[in-house]
Amino acid sequence: MLKFVSRRLAYTFAVLVLVSIVVFIIFNFLPIDPARLTCGKSCFPALIEANRHRLGLDVPWWEQWWRFIHGLFAGRSYAEGSAAIVCGAPSFGYSFNQHSCVTTLIGQAFPVTFSLAVGSFILWMILGISLGVLAARFKGRMPDRIATVFVLVGTSLPTFISGLLILLFVVLKFNLINPIEMGQWMSPFTNPWGYFKEFIFPCITLALAYAATYTRFTRSNVIETSSEDFIRTAKAKGLSSGVILRKHTLRAALSPILTIAGLDFAGLLGGAIITEQIFNLPGLGRLSIKAVLTDYDLPVILSTTLLAAAFVVIANLVVDIAYAFIDPRVRVA
Amino acid sequence: MSEKNMANVRRRLIATAAAAALVAGGLLVGGASGAGAAPTSGGTLYMITHAGQFAHADPQRNYTGQDIAFFNTYLYRNLVVYKPSAGPSGSGLVADLATNTGVPSNSAKTWKFTLRPGVTWEDGTAITCADVKYGVSRTFATDVITDGPAYALSMLAIPQDAKGNSMYAGPYKKTGQALFDKAVTCSKDNRTITFNLSHSVADFNYATSYPAFGPVKASKDTGDKYDLHPLSSGPYKIARYTINGEMDLVRNAKWTKASDSVRTPYPDNVTVRFGLDSNVIDQIMLSDSIPNTVNLDGLQPVNNRAFFADDKYASRRMNVYDPYVRYYGLNSSAGHLDCLAVRKAVFFAWPIQSLIDLAGGTVFYGDVGDSPIKPVLGLDYAKTTGNTHDANFKTAGNPAYAKSLLAQAKTDCPATYAKVTGDAGISIDLPNTSTQQKASVLLKAGLDAAGFNTKFNFIPSGQYYPTVQDITKQGDVTRAGWGADWANASTVIPPLFLKDGGFDLSGNWGDAVYPDFKAKVDAASAETNRPKQAADWKALAQFAMDQYWITPPIFGKAQLDWGSKVGGVAFWDPQGTFLFPALYVK
Repeated sequence: MLKFVSRRLAYTFAVLVLVSIVVFIIFNFLPIDPARLTCGKSCFPALIEANRHRLGLDVPWWEQWWRFIHGLFAGRSYAEGSAAIVCGAPSFGYSFNQHSCVTTLIGQAFPVTFSLAVGSFILWMILGISLGVLAARFKGRMPDRIATVFVLVGTSLPTFISGLLILLFVVLKFNLINPIEMGQWMSPFTNPWGYFKEFIFPCITLALAYAATYTRFTRSNVIETSSEDFIRTAKAKGLSSGVILRKHTLRAALSPILTIAGLDFAGLLGGAIITEQIFNLPGLGRLSIKAVLTDYDLPVILSTTLLAAAFVVIANLVVDIAYAFIDPRVRVA
Repeated sequence: MSEKNMANVRRRLIATAAAAALVAGGLLVGGASGAGAAPTSGGTLYMITHAGQFAHADPQRNYTGQDIAFFNTYLYRNLVVYKPSAGPSGSGLVADLATNTGVPSNSAKTWKFTLRPGVTWEDGTAITCADVKYGVSRTFATDVITDGPAYALSMLAIPQDAKGNSMYAGPYKKTGQALFDKAVTCSKDNRTITFNLSHSVADFNYATSYPAFGPVKASKDTGDKYDLHPLSSGPYKIARYTINGEMDLVRNAKWTKASDSVRTPYPDNVTVRFGLDSNVIDQIMLSDSIPNTVNLDGLQPVNNRAFFADDKYASRRMNVYDPYVRYYGLNSSAGHLDCLAVRKAVFFAWPIQSLIDLAGGTVFYGDVGDSPIKPVLGLDYAKTTGNTHDANFKTAGNPAYAKSLLAQAKTDCPATYAKVTGDAGISIDLPNTSTQQKASVLLKAGLDAAGFNTKFNFIPSGQYYPTVQDITKQGDVTRAGWGADWANASTVIPPLFLKDGGFDLSGNWGDAVYPDFKAKVDAASAETNRPKQAADWKALAQFAMDQYWITPPIFGKAQLDWGSKVGGVAFWDPQGTFLFPALYVK
């Protein structure tokens, strides 16, 4: 197992290095000049060059990349004299648009995205699996039909619609949250009620879309597993249907769902851009979309991309390991 | 100034008697809130916006009209500021930190300002000439202090190297410090600052209304990070500022009314909420759910129409002329529209009314203009002749007349004619937005009817201006907008039509008439007799229109809205936004 994990960790590291190189290449070969773009309104050639130097774009892309990698381990400094700025290791660079070290920005944004991801994950797993099992258990009957409608609605409504509907016709209409206060980070330890109010509706928005998919997966997996030989054997041995469902059917049926759930969760950790945007949540999604669309902020773009990639790769690793524990057949293989 | 970030950016503009005439003529729809009622102190005034942050809070980097108006009202004190009153009088300068609005000498190459006593920073220390001098010096640190106005760089008597870099590198590196110390001096009592300019600037005091000429305390300067927490000299100070979050302003205990003849701070707190979804903003304003709120963005088009159509919102809205002229630059450089007859044909084929209707109609978007200088600039504006006043001009476009002009072009300049009517066609630069996609359909119909082969370059909106400002990437026709920095067309004609002006989208420097035009612009810029200078600008506007360097311009309008508990609302003409100093919570 140790060898397996070590190999996967090395693979993870290689993927992240590759992602960082690709982002640098894409950024450098786009047909626009970030130094000119962020130079301001009264810009002339000398100012553009000064801005290029300020942004660290006056050296070849591979040198920019190396400075970035070096900064991760040794920290980085910017500007000179009394205006000098130091971002200690691990430094993801400095955002000149937000006037902060990127590590600090990520540190501020991550708890928001993490809260959103965990909250919605719990909601969609409970809702999706419960409805899926019910639909399978009562196949062709009323619970199955209700689940089918839920799946149709959930998969048809993109989050930018469901989020807006929830926000405008539930949250704002019934004054559940003061819109002026939306998006202010509230710690679950000092203000649990405020934290709950802040996150429950974004979590529901995300969970609705995911739960619909998981209901469908769970239903079909449970139905498929129920027709397996080992389930027939369990029935022949006289086990109750509840025990069969809990101990045999679900264990086998949920294994593939766990794989997808891990990846979905990891994807969300990289930032739920639309939901964060609608509910004004200052998470990684908002951070990255602002960097891409408004600021053209390479250090932020690079860092959030790397972070999102890291979450997905690590989630893959964790899921692979967890898989072996959940499904005995995998262990045997 | 270009109309980059139009939602946030309100360029400076001086309204004059002409503006008063427009107002009196009923062109303002809606009115001020709380007019006549006595302002009350206290409460929290909210401001909401979709933007994630102020473009800049650092005074030397602050270059957008709305932000300047906000910070000059609440946080900064400047040498001079615009008078905080509605209407034309709001365009006049009043002394703020200084005891007067500046004393010129040496043919306006030297300007002196004397600071009033008793003005302090939020830490209680006195604001001195050295603080103002240090603040101005920061503009020269171009590798740290970016985005701000470059007037100090171009006006102060500090030499530049061959590449156009100032020989002074700012207060952080201190290279060339002696040159700056010679250009900007302080008296022995540290109260009088003298600016020595490289050339006569008759309206230099208007430039000093920019916070870029305001004070910064050297010991509190944190370079790039000063943008997050500038030291206050005004009636409020920053309690909290988080990007994508909010800015909370609380009263500055060290500020005294006795030291400030300009400001009367009414609310106890001012809170700006950033990053709200546009739908949420609209919902707040439509439902008046937070009545002590000012909307810094304006409503989305559909809601805007509904808001202005319903009488129940009449006391919470205002429709005014904004500082901008919208136009399309006609690129007259070689290989593009380097033929007067072709440019004229484009001008007369242009379906301007359709474009106005698409963007909201004459009620909300603007009127057909006749000059790059907007009437609200008053002294420098005069009705031009020809162009939109020509008998052949039709707001729907006149393809028949345009065809006759193209026929003339076939003889006068066959190569250009062949290009615009052939496979290469005439290319129009547009930001890649849904509105401009629709505009392209109207433009194609209008120009193709005249015989052009119309094509489009859709450029991602965030990259639009950096792309089209590169002449090698610019097409034949380029959408743009501009507003004056202050009450002088010196901030319109040179930037728009001189090669080094910074925003010349007409590519006119290869034109045979350009040397003559440039000589006249240079003479006008140096003219210290203001009425004579105004006459020069009027003539130069006519010159530009006669050369058809731009399409028919549009004199733009803007709509503002606010909650029912906000009093004292009026439009601040020179800043192109709310008259922040008058706002109070009812």
